[in-house]
Amino acid sequence: MFKHLKSIIIIAMVALVTICGATSCKSSGKMTKKEYKAKVEQATKDLNAILDGTTEWSLEEQQARVNEIKQVDFSKKNPEIMEMIDRAEAKIAREIAERDRLAEEQRLAEEQRLRELEEQNKPKTGLTEYFNMIANAKDVNTANGYIRDALKMFESPDAVVLILLNNYGDYDRPTTAQNYLNYIKDQKKVSVIVNDVIYNSDNKIKQLELKKK
Amino acid sequence: MKKVLFAIAFAFFALTGYQAFAQEPELNPERKQAIDSLALEKVRDLSKYVKLIGSKNTPWSEANRVIDRAEELFAPDAEIGVSSLSKTKVEYYKVRKYLERLMRLNYDRVEIDWYKIQYVSDLQRQPDGTYVGVITIFQTFKGYDAEGRLVYQDTTKKDITVYVKRKETQIGGKLIGFWDVLLGDMRVKETTHK
Repeated sequence: MFKHLKSIIIIAMVALVTICGATSCKSSGKMTKKEYKAKVEQATKDLNAILDGTTEWSLEEQQARVNEIKQVDFSKKNPEIMEMIDRAEAKIAREIAERDRLAEEQRLAEEQRLRELEEQNKPKTGLTEYFNMIANAKDVNTANGYIRDALKMFESPDAVVLILLNNYGDYDRPTTAQNYLNYIKDQKKVSVIVNDVIYNSDNKIKQLELKKK
Repeated sequence: MKKVLFAIAFAFFALTGYQAFAQEPELNPERKQAIDSLALEKVRDLSKYVKLIGSKNTPWSEANRVIDRAEELFAPDAEIGVSSLSKTKVEYYKVRKYLERLMRLNYDRVEIDWYKIQYVSDLQRQPDGTYVGVITIFQTFKGYDAEGRLVYQDTTKKDITVYVKRKETQIGGKLIGFWDVLLGDMRVKETTHK
């Protein structure tokens, strides 16, 4: 009986030590009041900075900080921090959405700008190609087909075509797109380069200035 | 008295205006070269038009369009001389009439070529500011029958008077100064076999 009592005491002591040990580990993870107070102060300070927009953190850094603050349970003693967290998260989400929207707008604007630039450059190259295709067409019907296609680049077949003779502002008699393209067909030669192109709002050529080579 | 004063004033302004125009500086060599070349190019353009209009391979609608373009090269009332080895007299036709006759020549195939296109009299500035010169060309004409036989051939030397005048026009709100080249009469100088 005594032997059994001795064993029971030992087991009880081991259990006590184990329980105490475990409890003491758990106790070391808890914050002291001082630590908690510091956390509250720091959280309040950071959340205010986020809400006032005075922080220099990026939006991602702000979100990370809010997530970090959320790891501490302030709901019981400091519900105002929970409210600040909600507001800060909403603000960050709004700002991220706005930033993304602006970035998207900027991207689309840049895409549009590049497209327009490409469009503006395209007719110049296209015109020169058409000039050569018309001049070297194997027969009248082929040349007329190229002329029809080339005219689609112009506001109308009567769009003005100017031919600059030199650098002194001397021009040949002004002509029209249709007449000039037919001229190339008849003469079977291209003796000009594209010097300037004026487009209308539909990106069609309103006025073409050529220059003698 | 008022009428006399008005006439004197009018004459004065007309004269001074004319003198001011006439005293415009001569073109520098580069600009002069540009209009020399331009006038010569118009004659070369005409040579292509004549070839197209005369060719039996040119579709009717195309030939008519080319006639319009060719006619635009000439001054109103300009005439073109037509000679033949069988006739001593040179006939002169208005430009459009000449070009329409050329389109309907009674051959199955026609070959027209112009060569030695050059100035015989350089462009000279006239008192009214117009530049006038003469360009000569040699034209070979060959007419073939249905069997492809050459039935007529000649070479004609022709002189073309050219007028080049500075004009201005408003285009897109901008004042454009251009040189208007107009061809005048095309005179036959000689016609030979070959």
